Amino acid sequence: MNPFSYLEALRLAAPETALAVAALAVLFADLGGMRGESLRHRAILGAGITAVGGAMALLWLGFAPGYGTIAEGVLVTSPLTQLVKAGLVLLTLLVAGLSLDPRFTGHVGEYFSLLLLGTIGMMVLVSTQDLLMLFLALELTSLPLYVLAGFNKRDRASAEAALKYFFFGSVAAAFLLFGFSLLYGVAGSTRLPVIAAAVALKPPDALTLVALVCVVMGFGFKVAAVPFHLWAPDAYEGAPTPAAAFIASGSKVASFAVFGIVLAQGLGPMAGGADWHGFTTGWLPLLAVVALASMLLGNLAAIAQRSVKRLLAYSAIAHAGYLLLGLMALATPANRPAALAAILYYAITYALSTVGAFGIVAVVERATGSDAADGFNGLARRSPALALCLMIFLLSLAGIPPLAGFLGKFYVFVAATRAGDGSLSLFWLVLVAIALSVVSLYYYLKLLKRAYVLPPDGAVPATRPDVMEFVVIGMTAAAVLGLGVFPRALLEPLALAIQQAGF
Amino acid sequence: MTEQTQSYLFLAVLLGVAVAFPLVMLGLARLWATVYSPAKPGPAKAAPYECGLESTGDAWVQLRSGYYLYAIVFLIFDVEALFLLPFAVAFTSLPVGAFVAILVFLLLLVEGLVWAWQKGVLEWN
Repeated sequence: MNPFSYLEALRLAAPETALAVAALAVLFADLGGMRGESLRHRAILGAGITAVGGAMALLWLGFAPGYGTIAEGVLVTSPLTQLVKAGLVLLTLLVAGLSLDPRFTGHVGEYFSLLLLGTIGMMVLVSTQDLLMLFLALELTSLPLYVLAGFNKRDRASAEAALKYFFFGSVAAAFLLFGFSLLYGVAGSTRLPVIAAAVALKPPDALTLVALVCVVMGFGFKVAAVPFHLWAPDAYEGAPTPAAAFIASGSKVASFAVFGIVLAQGLGPMAGGADWHGFTTGWLPLLAVVALASMLLGNLAAIAQRSVKRLLAYSAIAHAGYLLLGLMALATPANRPAALAAILYYAITYALSTVGAFGIVAVVERATGSDAADGFNGLARRSPALALCLMIFLLSLAGIPPLAGFLGKFYVFVAATRAGDGSLSLFWLVLVAIALSVVSLYYYLKLLKRAYVLPPDGAVPATRPDVMEFVVIGMTAAAVLGLGVFPRALLEPLALAIQQAGF
Repeated sequence: MTEQTQSYLFLAVLLGVAVAFPLVMLGLARLWATVYSPAKPGPAKAAPYECGLESTGDAWVQLRSGYYLYAIVFLIFDVEALFLLPFAVAFTSLPVGAFVAILVFLLLLVEGLVWAWQKGVLEWN
């Protein structure tokens, strides 16, 4: 075995290091110099340091990307991982832009520090091929998210959100670890390619099936898929809005990326089949059931919601269902590059519109005091620009052309249709997904109707975003529209990176 | 298939024994108590034991939960010692990179302590 090269490790993990330094700096800057300053000033300083750290990481990822492997796959960097990491850092910066009015806490430095640490976890998560490192990164992602969900200590709902998220998360992590340990028992190694070779040798037996179910449970929690979704509505509703945006965006992208990597590179040979009336053992039938349940429950439960954050949570569950459909397309090796590109395009554009939508919720919440859907009545008259952005986000989530959400769904559905080498084996799920997309249009339009058709209720105070919120909401709206009109701007780099990463 | 079933059968037997063993013990103890020492509670016997003195007040007193913070800060040094011992043993044969790495680790722990100190965690009030 080669001696471990610390310089090489530092070279490959330079973006993460930049963020870690920023996380420590923001903690100490807030602790040292900012006592007695107003919350607003402290938040600006915190977001500024976060932005500097994020910009350093982005520059590193863009101009001096180091590609390589450390310790046989513990840390792997390829054009693909660097691209996904750049997306994650961008999402974090957007969330930091929404956090300039932290009236939910007095601990501003800790807030930004946790945001950055969570991002580091996500970045490591997408660039490892080792189960142990993967689990550590998952915990590094989850722990800051639990704390962020409960960051408003004065609010009971926030504490409830954190507690539910934490309990579900710890049980899911336990199952995931159990599954990983069984996989290690099967393969004698924690590296994904070795596991793939080991499970390819024989048909799935009891041991590998238990491992498989545990792994799907663990990741199912992370992506909020039914029946592991129960934390999502409460966590989204109770958590401070910027924290909810972070949970809904960056964590989603990273979780789906790593879920896809594990399924394709570690468990590829035991995919099984999910044809209509023709299930064969493997992870395809498992995902088929989970995806179907997520799409059904997410879309139908969203109709009944009165809180906009809960509505976004149920819509997130439904979107997790569509994305799981994309993951199922990874089962066919010839289909893998297209499916992976579709998943990442979908996840990133979905995350962008979610961050934007949460930004608008934050603005309305500040004006009306709650995130109830009634607060959106007459938004177009109070703030036309905000209502226009809301329309872009919601229609993109519903999948209306020419917005990015439509193309994301389109590519994912095409990939799922092509799975199984032209046998149309997943077509029944695609049909269900399309039908339920129509259902989703109903509840998105109901919210838009409040914003555009209904008159405002009585004397609602002016609904004005502050400068950074307006920049973030405007940028995400422009990105959702731009990526819908010019999808190649994201799809071509993705396809190239996937090819170079050797999928 | 039969071989596999037998290997799992062993687990089932173990599970049965594991459940039965404590149940048998508890049952025997219960039987012993009912036969030889039936409960005859009285005011003196039911009183909580306080070194022979008359017991005063309620036994359900509230304890300060702030103690957990000390436990966490202690954990910092606990983990630090855990890593420092092998570091000290292997010190002479370590490359520069490993030395820097452990220094960064120590720095992080010290930063954690300074942070806790500054936040007023160590003040008992």
